[in-house]
Amino acid sequence: MIGAFLLFSAMGLGFFYLQNLFFFPHVHLRLLALLLFYVGLRPSLSLALALGLTLGLLQDSYATTPFGLHLGASLVLVAAARFLRRRLLLQRIGSQVLASVVALTLQEVCFHAGAVLLGLQPNISKEMITHQTWEILGTAALGPLMRHLVKGLENFLRRFGWRALSEPPAYHSFS
Amino acid sequence: MRPKGRYRTPLIIAVALLLVFSVLSLSLKRSPALKQVEGWMISLTAPGLRSLEYVTRGVKNLWSGYFYLVEVKQENATLRQCLEEYKQKDVRFQEAQQALTRLEALLDLKRQVAMPVIGARVIGYDPSLWSRSAMIDQGQAQGVKEGLPVLAPQGVAGRVVEAYPQYSKVMLIVDRKSGADAMIQRTRARGILQGKGGNRCSLEFVPKSAEVQLGDLVLASGLAGLYPKGLVFGRVSGTNKKNPGLFQEIEVTPAVDLSALEEVLVVKVASIAISEP
Repeated sequence: MIGAFLLFSAMGLGFFYLQNLFFFPHVHLRLLALLLFYVGLRPSLSLALALGLTLGLLQDSYATTPFGLHLGASLVLVAAARFLRRRLLLQRIGSQVLASVVALTLQEVCFHAGAVLLGLQPNISKEMITHQTWEILGTAALGPLMRHLVKGLENFLRRFGWRALSEPPAYHSFS
Repeated sequence: MRPKGRYRTPLIIAVALLLVFSVLSLSLKRSPALKQVEGWMISLTAPGLRSLEYVTRGVKNLWSGYFYLVEVKQENATLRQCLEEYKQKDVRFQEAQQALTRLEALLDLKRQVAMPVIGARVIGYDPSLWSRSAMIDQGQAQGVKEGLPVLAPQGVAGRVVEAYPQYSKVMLIVDRKSGADAMIQRTRARGILQGKGGNRCSLEFVPKSAEVQLGDLVLASGLAGLYPKGLVFGRVSGTNKKNPGLFQEIEVTPAVDLSALEEVLVVKVASIAISEP
């Protein structure tokens, strides 16, 4: 679990650096949120929660919003991923992309609600809503790529014996 | 369902909610423990960001000054070697010249401010749309404290909101939590410059009777001691007096390109007065 957590956290940190150094300020994508969503769809809940906590803290540390808002938003995203995974039995890429749009929108709504409750001024101008809509759609469109990355990393970890706790153990013959 | 499994989900939800509310509550109380966690996270991740920023800058310079021009250089094969050398020299020269121009502007500003300042390099930003902040590579060890104003050659960039041992977090003037006393240079009409997120600010609480035109300079008034008096915040880019209420709507575009900051000055004394432009 620790190895998987460290590896996924390093991946998240890599995305954060990528956004900061190459994408900002021209391209706005929520790669950390997308990573968290796809990890949330995988069997290991403890990994998703630990990653949500770490990535939330990372984003909170660099933002000027009250500490804990990004953390809360990350946990909302994990909760949404778990809910959608259980209720809709997400198997196909198309349905996963749609589910990620729903989860990212929910995360945005929760973040704004939290910000308003804490006394911050909400920015709900038409321009900002359009910007955020494109940001969410653009992020969701990268879903298939993220799915492959997450699965690829999981397969890599399985080579070293890692397995999510809720997964059935590997088959070993009696002989 | 097993009893153990039955309580698992409500338990996880309860713990998560408790965690988030505790962190938010501690955050609102400005808990030192939370600030320490934030400091650790910055200390852990910012050095990587700083190193990568240097590498990226080098690669960008190499790309724009060398690889991008390879096809042009092939026109004359006999002079290619010579030309490459000159191109590389030229890139270094241009980079040095640009740095010199930027640093001269900073030095001018330093003379103008005539107060102790700390030069700093911007190493990263908050890439989300939810807040506008930048991280600089100077911290408590260099004398940076919370509340100090941060200037760029074109004007005010923001102020330090968190100082860590080696790094500091700067809230830019366009951040939604940013507010500062400001005035229109031409008419001396005063108001509060409020960040609006993205790359926008607005000048609030200016009465409809006050005359404000497009292009008017918006300066720091020096009141409240947040920013040095007379420094430029930006220019008026939109006005509206047809809105209901006592005050007009004034949109201000920052003088500084807040998404492309490289070097900045942290003024060590917050409440200073400089000669007005």
